[in-house]
Amino acid sequence: MGIWFYMPKVRPRLFVALCTLSIVAFCSCSAYAQRSAIDTYAITNARIVTVSGPVVERGTVVVRNGLIAAAGANVSAPTDARVIDGTGLTIYPGLIDSYTNLALPEAAPAPSPGGGPAAFLVTAPARPTGGPNSTQPVGLQPEVMVEDVIRTSGTELESSRNIGITAALTVPRSGIWMGQSALINLSGETPQQMIVRSPVAMHVGFTPLRGTYPGSLMGVFATLRQMMLDAQRYRDSMLIYERNPRGIRRPETDRSLAALVPVIDGRMPVVMLANTEREINRALDLGAEFKLKLIVAGGREADQVADRLAKQNVPVLLSLNLPRRTTAALPEADPESMRVLRERVEAQQTAGKLAKAGVRFAFQSGSLTNMSDLMVNVSRVIENGLSPADAVRAFTLSAAEILGVANQLGSIEAGKIANLTVTRGDIFDRNSRVTHVFIDGRPVDLRPAAPERPAGGRATATGMWTLNINLGQGERGATLTLQQEGERVTGSIAGVLGAGDISNASISAGGELRFTVPLNIEGQTKEATFTGTLTGDEMRGSVTVVGMTPGSFTATRSRPN
Amino acid sequence: MKNLLLLFAIVLLTGSVAQAQSGETLIKNATVLTVTRGTLANTDVLLRNGKIAAIGKNLNASANARVIDATGKFVMPGIIDAHSHSMLDTINEGTLAVTSMVRTEDVLNPTDVDLYRALAGGVTSLNLLHGSANPIGGLNTVVKIKYGRPASEFLFPGAMPGIKFALGENVKRSSTPNTPGVPRRYPNTRMGVEETIRDAFTRARDYKRAWDEYRAASAKDKNLIPPRRDLQLEPLVEILEGRRYVHAHCYIASEILMLINLADEFGFKIKTFQHVLEGYKVAKEIAAHGAGASIFADSWGYKIEAYDAIPYNAAIMTRAGVVVSMNSDSDERARRLNIEAAKAMHWGDLTEEQALKLVTLNPAIQLGIQDRVGSLEVGKDADLAIWNGHPFSVYSRVDTTFVDGTVYFDRQQDLARRAELAKERATLEQADPNKPPAQGQSPQTPRRRPRTHEDGEIIEEERRP
Repeated sequence: MGIWFYMPKVRPRLFVALCTLSIVAFCSCSAYAQRSAIDTYAITNARIVTVSGPVVERGTVVVRNGLIAAAGANVSAPTDARVIDGTGLTIYPGLIDSYTNLALPEAAPAPSPGGGPAAFLVTAPARPTGGPNSTQPVGLQPEVMVEDVIRTSGTELESSRNIGITAALTVPRSGIWMGQSALINLSGETPQQMIVRSPVAMHVGFTPLRGTYPGSLMGVFATLRQMMLDAQRYRDSMLIYERNPRGIRRPETDRSLAALVPVIDGRMPVVMLANTEREINRALDLGAEFKLKLIVAGGREADQVADRLAKQNVPVLLSLNLPRRTTAALPEADPESMRVLRERVEAQQTAGKLAKAGVRFAFQSGSLTNMSDLMVNVSRVIENGLSPADAVRAFTLSAAEILGVANQLGSIEAGKIANLTVTRGDIFDRNSRVTHVFIDGRPVDLRPAAPERPAGGRATATGMWTLNINLGQGERGATLTLQQEGERVTGSIAGVLGAGDISNASISAGGELRFTVPLNIEGQTKEATFTGTLTGDEMRGSVTVVGMTPGSFTATRSRPN
Repeated sequence: MKNLLLLFAIVLLTGSVAQAQSGETLIKNATVLTVTRGTLANTDVLLRNGKIAAIGKNLNASANARVIDATGKFVMPGIIDAHSHSMLDTINEGTLAVTSMVRTEDVLNPTDVDLYRALAGGVTSLNLLHGSANPIGGLNTVVKIKYGRPASEFLFPGAMPGIKFALGENVKRSSTPNTPGVPRRYPNTRMGVEETIRDAFTRARDYKRAWDEYRAASAKDKNLIPPRRDLQLEPLVEILEGRRYVHAHCYIASEILMLINLADEFGFKIKTFQHVLEGYKVAKEIAAHGAGASIFADSWGYKIEAYDAIPYNAAIMTRAGVVVSMNSDSDERARRLNIEAAKAMHWGDLTEEQALKLVTLNPAIQLGIQDRVGSLEVGKDADLAIWNGHPFSVYSRVDTTFVDGTVYFDRQQDLARRAELAKERATLEQADPNKPPAQGQSPQTPRRRPRTHEDGEIIEEERRP
């Protein structure tokens, strides 16, 4: 068989086999034994939004062995089930975030800007995302598979689960041919347990490489075209060679081109990042040129291309990272352009317009940093013309359909994976609360957001901190002043490495803290990103500075508030 | 501040102007600058279904035609800018010396406001060229300015495909600073530029031969693996076969002669020399090769190779038999190409008709669209502008611009819409996503695209923050 042969149907089965193996391997483990002691749950007297069928105003959902065993008005709880009284609660299919970087390791540090293009060329092959023995530079490796790097931990997983997201498409972070995504459940003991389907799709971004070809958007298109043409020839030459190898010089194998064969054959969908009208039209043009099975991700102005999307049956993974003004009002500032003003207002209306035009779409968080904004943004979209039912569908069954897992996820039907999101109040109501989340039939620990918890129970970063930074040249001291509001943190830093305001700062309920500051290192101002954990009056973690070996930091609180 | 707001108002006029009917329009009693048939006083022009249906006195139109009284006004063919980088999201693929695989058509931005400004200067067509970062650059796109429509509707039907070549200082990276430890991109001299182009065409010739041989042999043997399709070499084969026009950026006489000789060696033609500031020195040779020249009226001295220019360039080359056009190579100059053309009457005594041709028929010939546009003749596309005075006067301005018989710019409509836009702005600013947050960053000066001159080379001081 040709090594390029693509067998998507086999993979899920492979994972079932792997999971079975791991169950055997783990059965003596007490943690597992404890967890598996209860595998049957019944949520009774709840409102059930099945999505695939009518809403059941009062009914029961039974979960057994990771699957939905039964759901409906006349279903009763089995005797061995742990019963959850669902009076006043609503059960939804577990939400699916249809484009994320969840469960991936931190982004690789960018190459040193001081090193110039040559340094980039030298360091590029060593970057961790690169495929082994690839014929292509990093960024042009379609053979990269996200399933190879998924990990089970990560604060992002927790903050997504806390708002009711149970599964997500996780996509390699960068590149032109970014690689192949996987649909994962957001909880599991091993990466293999988390995977629902892999690969799901090939991903394309249009960001040029730095210092090397393709270094412009034009070059990106030329490269995508050339590689797809090369993949066609690769497929055809392999077929010719296999038919009769005698007398033909054997074609060289090429993992990058092999990975593109299912794409150009229209068997594997291609997700292209495109937000503006022209970006979407360009993606549609390229898709039509190579007869690709196209999906658009981002889609901010997709409503302007709705006719074409509907006609060509191209679905959209619509970002809920809605643009907002972030700058303060200053009387001397230039007025913002009408284009920008319109864009922010119209982005809220895109989903409603797509629904009316009959374009299939699913929601994605669009790398929102604060996940609690996600549901607020859904309510904005609903206020701007999308029906609440369509909003639920875009987060559940539509996502499952577009991503090829509608047999497994997306609705409350017997036999489907028991991913459930249970809320008190309508899920997109600003005052509703997620009370239970089930993933693969298991309840997930939820950490409610700050206001629901008595003060003091939550880690707080507010105060003045004595900071020690070690970047490999001995410890350096600094004073850090932090102010926390919800998950948002603001503040400043001052010390021998310079002074400045912190940015991109956040803290999770569990105390995972993250912020960026400008540091003066060897006479240059560089961005340093601090990632760490806060316990009581202590913090520790790692510091990454672009172009330097990662270092560490510790901090103690010298003065609260 | 007021000016600024006015500017914004102009910026915001989108395609709604373009929605005016394209059925039938009768322009009455104008002075018509036909370019090919002289200047006709008190003449009517009838536009029907996107074409010029009639030119003459006392024409009649159907009952529902729009009638414009153009008494005292001038009608001129739409200006054609043979060298533009407007509408492009990116201009240079500068990483390689030969980038014939990249296409400007892939990066068109139909919302670029410079397009609207060009319409307001009576311009209706543009030749969108790749920049001059490499000896063989990317493929061009010829467009009609249908501002407000999607990019696909801009493409000029039937225009000859083209490509950008470049010679001299930009290509050999004369103004690119050396970075220690980073090898400079080849070529670094004019000798290297010639070798790069010769090497590319040698490879293209081999490529064509490989495919010809494969096609012949595969008729008998089905078991053959085809050669690799090479998007870099395919456009060069088209040049060799006369199916693609070469638009070559150049300055000095020696490099112009070099490229003519190189083209003769491989048996292809250079369609236009662009900028060609020393063209007057080799006008006979350019004419003998059959090439056109697309130049500036009086922009020079901005780098060493641009020192030997004279304002008589257009006149000297025209008299030597070269088809000459005046281009903008600038989003800003594109708005006043009429004045650039007028300068050629002052410097070198070209006739009014010869000067008009510099921005109408001649660029049309250079782009292979002369059967559709470039003059006012019955049957040609209704791409034209009504001016409130003679277009060669600095006091004149455009009242209305038509593309394919549809109004894409109208001064009165523009003025009338400003109040409406101000109202829309007030509403938008009150909308939730546009409200400034309590604690936000300071607003930044809006990033404007760096000004360019001559081939998308960004003026160095403007690149710095």
